[in-house]
Amino acid sequence: MTQINASRSALVSGLAISVMLTAAPSLHAADETKKPEPATKPLKLGGPGIEQERSFPKIVSGKWAGPKTADGQPDVQGHWSNTIANHNNFTDPQGGILNDPNPNRVAKGPREERAPSRVSDPADGQVPFQPWALEKVKDFQAHFHDPVKPEYIEPLARCAPGGIPKSLFWHGYEISQYPGYVLFQFNSGTRIIHLDGKSHLPDNIKLWNGDSRGHWEGNTLVVDVTNQNGKALFGRSGEFISENGHIQERYIFSNDGDRYTYEAVLTDPTVYTRPFTVTVPARKWTAKDQPNGWHFEVEPANYTGKVALKEPILDQYERVCAENNGGFGLVAAEEPKK
Amino acid sequence: MSSPNNGPSSLQIALMLASGLILLFLATGDAGAVTPKIPRLANGKPDFSGIWQTTSAADYDLEPHSNRKDAPPGAGIVEGHYLPYLPAALEQKKKNFAARDTLDPALKGYTLGVPRGIYYPEPFQIFQRKQDLTLVHQFGHSVRTIHTDETDHPKDPYDWWLGDSRGHWEGDTLVVDVKHFNDKTWFDRAGNYHSDALHVVEKWAFIDPNTVEYKATVEDPKVFSKPWNLSVILHRHREKDFQLIEDYRFTLDYDDAYPPKPNKP
Repeated sequence: MTQINASRSALVSGLAISVMLTAAPSLHAADETKKPEPATKPLKLGGPGIEQERSFPKIVSGKWAGPKTADGQPDVQGHWSNTIANHNNFTDPQGGILNDPNPNRVAKGPREERAPSRVSDPADGQVPFQPWALEKVKDFQAHFHDPVKPEYIEPLARCAPGGIPKSLFWHGYEISQYPGYVLFQFNSGTRIIHLDGKSHLPDNIKLWNGDSRGHWEGNTLVVDVTNQNGKALFGRSGEFISENGHIQERYIFSNDGDRYTYEAVLTDPTVYTRPFTVTVPARKWTAKDQPNGWHFEVEPANYTGKVALKEPILDQYERVCAENNGGFGLVAAEEPKK
Repeated sequence: MSSPNNGPSSLQIALMLASGLILLFLATGDAGAVTPKIPRLANGKPDFSGIWQTTSAADYDLEPHSNRKDAPPGAGIVEGHYLPYLPAALEQKKKNFAARDTLDPALKGYTLGVPRGIYYPEPFQIFQRKQDLTLVHQFGHSVRTIHTDETDHPKDPYDWWLGDSRGHWEGDTLVVDVKHFNDKTWFDRAGNYHSDALHVVEKWAFIDPNTVEYKATVEDPKVFSKPWNLSVILHRHREKDFQLIEDYRFTLDYDDAYPPKPNKP
């Protein structure tokens, strides 16, 4: 709890950019950047820490047999979070930050002992970048710890929205549903998925989180995303899509309601040589779980009703800006931990 | 009619009575149109779901004011017209007013706070369930949750941009108690401001299915000598396919740095 409160109070305005840019390395950065867990350490779903598992089941699209909302959607409301890692590294999620000057934070051991690449197609796990784009990504990776130009600062560190797909592996988030809508409240940005079938916004409107149109197919929420501004990076490894990109998402929920698999096909003829698929496993967190300072940032609500509750009501407090960002990736020199 | 006498037949009497009843029914229906049916959730509570915006010029200045280079004239939205500032706070307000071109938090794209986000001239969308209302403001895409699940404020001291909102129903009026604010937001462009001791009690009620009256009682013993009240009318956006469009304008200062672009030859 203490840790949650401390980081909450550090919720400077998402917006105090000048402060963010000049901030000393944050106390919270330590939490964010700790060394990858050794592969021998057992991981536990619902346990402490960011890494919760190294492999995960594939959930396939099909019928929905679980509960439904009054307007007939599969009811998937609640707190969710990815199970494997944060946005340190897109294609080696548990591999730590590329070119990290701190040897304690560099992953050791063979690649196959860590979670697979979030790129599930092509089979090599790499984004099929065009040569110019790959050069840009390598350049970003080379300068992440030495950001001598504004473009080397991960925009999320300036309280920009996480964008797609990064929001899906940046802290826990809440899904709520309403007639005609699915609402994602991420720690860094909100997405409104429109289910009413209206057309996308005119194509010259460009947005961090794009414009989302969705519908349900059995257990699967299918979302078409256009109108992206291409400014959000996929992680501290610098992968990106441009404003010409198109993302087709599938949120495939298991019928027990405990998990979903996120599968997105990213197409962009100006950046990639072919469409590719991103896969992110997610798990639901409930009142049966302990709070987790990264996945499940909740506290018991102050319930005053007379009727006994079946399970406690949880408060998830204000989301104004990404926390844990101050100083990280913003300063050229960070003392390696002794 | 085939009746042999000149008096009305029982059939005719019945018809007259029936038409009279129909007229009476129509008249009653007409009277009912003054308070048409408002949208409701399955549990019978008023359903504020929708996209709302005020046409009021309140955000320029809550208080009455003549025209200015940066504001149209306005009669204000405060009951009793003027805010009951403590003397020192009034001096601060005057300083804020003089420097509003640079100090107004809205110019930076900051989250507007409560109640300013409600009467700022941009749309916000209410998503409502039995247990809560989630307000997404287009400006800054700020998200505020009003809990209607019999929970009260957390006991710990917190300082939030949007405060902590706990609502309950008094008939068809949603009453929301909001506190635990920070002191970084203003009430309007004219520099009217508050401290972190701000406490707001809101009342939301339908006037008709597409119009909501929003009232707020504001108290802040560090800034004002007594509580004061404001009210605005909110209108439902009914344009075809109207939707919120993301507006994270605080990113505009640096977003030229993204995305990566091919090197120019």
